[in-house]
Amino acid sequence: MKVLVNGQGYELALPTEQNLQQALQLFLNNNQHQGTFAVALNGEFIGKESYQNTQLSANDSVDVLFPIQGG
Amino acid sequence: MSLTIYGQSLDSRLLIGSALYPSPKIMQDAILASGSQVVTLSLKRQNPQQQSGQQIWQYIQQTVKQNKGFLLPNTAGCKTAKEAVTLAQMSREIFQTDWIKLEVIGDDYNLQPDVIELLAATEQLIALGFKVLPYCTDDLVICQRLYDLGCEVIMPWASPIGTGKGLMNPYNLETIRLRLPDATLILDAGIGKPSDACLAMEMGYDGILLNSAVALADNPVLMAKAFANALSAGEQGYVAGIMQQRQTAHPSTPTLDTPFWHQP
Repeated sequence: MKVLVNGQGYELALPTEQNLQQALQLFLNNNQHQGTFAVALNGEFIGKESYQNTQLSANDSVDVLFPIQGG
Repeated sequence: MSLTIYGQSLDSRLLIGSALYPSPKIMQDAILASGSQVVTLSLKRQNPQQQSGQQIWQYIQQTVKQNKGFLLPNTAGCKTAKEAVTLAQMSREIFQTDWIKLEVIGDDYNLQPDVIELLAATEQLIALGFKVLPYCTDDLVICQRLYDLGCEVIMPWASPIGTGKGLMNPYNLETIRLRLPDATLILDAGIGKPSDACLAMEMGYDGILLNSAVALADNPVLMAKAFANALSAGEQGYVAGIMQQRQTAHPSTPTLDTPFWHQP
């Protein structure tokens, strides 16, 4: 099953990987995963408390955003 | 004299951005030199290969802690109300603040706010419990609508973001101040020189939000101090009461007992 993460295609082979909580561990490096980020799925905000209960579907688009400088 | 943003009293009337500085250290020094207690920042995608974003975030956190300040996340880059609402919710989770500097851009050339999407986003965000600081054009009616929706703070532009052109339309800005006496008005975007900030404060604006004018100066730390002084000067001038302009000249020196050479 293919999903887009920050615009980049990822193949999720195992059913367990299709859970958002598990999938994030694949998408992010260690520093990022332990750092500060927030997630949107298909343009809708997903709170941290919902990662475990969110299942990904084929062609879903996940955005993982991090703090950055801004004006 | 302090600035109040949604009930939070602040010592400085300057709000400052965290972008475009030559280095994170200069960013930190400039923000601290400015005296500002409100620092804007944003959220962006980051590839797994990138590390720098987390470092910047640590610098910003340290800076805000040092000046006992507050974070003001923005929705830069959003072009629709839906995008802005989603990004605001993501920001609230990360930064643990209801404040959001709401930007919804309608044109890529001059980065002009799309005020129709802005109003829609404002209404949705207020319903979600956000305290919205909308970045808008210098349009009186739009500012009134934002105020009527419940925005205690309104942030019209001086000129397009990053141009440094200063106050393009002082008449519009003065009219907004006159017509919305109870709104907290913060001039946002386009400030280039300390005198631009001073002029807005002399008009009775409550504060200034800027970034490029400090970050792109040859000496950002010194420029940050210059802006802090300019805001103080402008505010004091406004409070002191500026004299009315007059059409004709009036001698400053008393004319009574003028010396002999003007005698007939």
